Amino acid sequence: MIIPGLNCDNEYCMDISGEHLIEADREHVWKLLNDPDVLKKCIPGCESLEQNSPDTFRAKVVLKIGPMKASFNGDVELKDKVFPSSYRISGEGKGGIAGFASGDAAVNLVEENGGTRLVYEADAKLGGKIAQLGSRLVQSSSTKLAKQFFDTFCEIASQEATV
Amino acid sequence: MYETKYQRASNVEDAAKMLAATDDGKFISGGQTLIPTMKQRLAAPSDLIDVRNIDAMKGIAVDGSNVSIGAAATHAEVANSNDVHKACPALCDLAGMIGDPHVRHMGTIGGSIANNDPAADYPAAMIALNAQITTSKRTIGADDFFTDLFETALEEDEIVTSITFQAPSKAAYAKFPNPASRYAMAGVFVAQVEDGAARVGVTGAGSSGVFRHGEMEAALSKDWSEAAIKNCKVDEAAMLSDLHGNAAYRANLVKVMAKRAVAAAG
Repeated sequence: MIIPGLNCDNEYCMDISGEHLIEADREHVWKLLNDPDVLKKCIPGCESLEQNSPDTFRAKVVLKIGPMKASFNGDVELKDKVFPSSYRISGEGKGGIAGFASGDAAVNLVEENGGTRLVYEADAKLGGKIAQLGSRLVQSSSTKLAKQFFDTFCEIASQEATV
Repeated sequence: MYETKYQRASNVEDAAKMLAATDDGKFISGGQTLIPTMKQRLAAPSDLIDVRNIDAMKGIAVDGSNVSIGAAATHAEVANSNDVHKACPALCDLAGMIGDPHVRHMGTIGGSIANNDPAADYPAAMIALNAQITTSKRTIGADDFFTDLFETALEEDEIVTSITFQAPSKAAYAKFPNPASRYAMAGVFVAQVEDGAARVGVTGAGSSGVFRHGEMEAALSKDWSEAAIKNCKVDEAAMLSDLHGNAAYRANLVKVMAKRAVAAAG
């Protein structure tokens, strides 16, 4: 458990976790979690996601939080894949003068009543100006962005399952 | 230095046209959030389109119990308006508590609600007074206007032009300001509107921005007193948690501020 706040390097650290029940079978959900087009649609503000190797991507993300608007270039990697039940998705990006952001989420898929329960636990770190000035808003905004990612994902997964 | 082109619009149609012609432009009103953000390089719009000089957005008009405030009215104008004071003194109190004198003389009511900062003061009053927010395209009820943290029903090229509401029979605003920023750690606006119905708007505390507290509204509609809300619950799970205060602290503050507001409204 990380206590949200600035550490001694002036980086803002926090934990974000949540879970969703998706009405689709686990292998289908797993396939979508590994589909770059689906990931691109789910990452809030993602303008491009290029696949460099099966498990690494180059991303450009425009982050808008209220009056702030910063463009981040970064790398996304899928790690510790255990078909079809879990992986880690980690990423880090630099937003020029705004600072940097990095995050790592453990995603677990559990079969439940014919559907799939998706459980995620993420820790995220922000540094630079965006962390210092935005500390009032960082936690709630980050939680919102994580929620947005998984909400969109669940929507896509449920839709595809019913087609 | 980043280059920004400043333009001044004389009506809302022009403002929308000017914005459409830009690469990455933004509307600006008093600039009390946007300019500091730009100074820190956390935003770098290509163009700023100033909407403060649009005639249709100026002025305050009170006709009986109808209150209409132009979106370009500054917080100081609202705080010092005799007409608003007669109709709804609580709104003058609220405007006089925003930020510092500089912010109050530059910042505008339209800018504040369009930004929808989760700790801004005006949104609490807007939902408690059931205000109607008129834009360059339509009129939106306050309940539908504020959608999430920094998010509103506004489209990219839509401008708030005025705010109207019916004077409440009684109302008050109580806030616990962050001592450094004067933003609300928790701010509660209570209002008794037509038929004795109570409305309670809470800002600064909710993790999705401003919200109404239904349980307190029901209790106050039956009995307008501090005692009536003594047993109301504020859901900690829906509260903001940051280095200034955790969710439990804020949940408690909401109730304390609500009681103070009810007592102040009399």
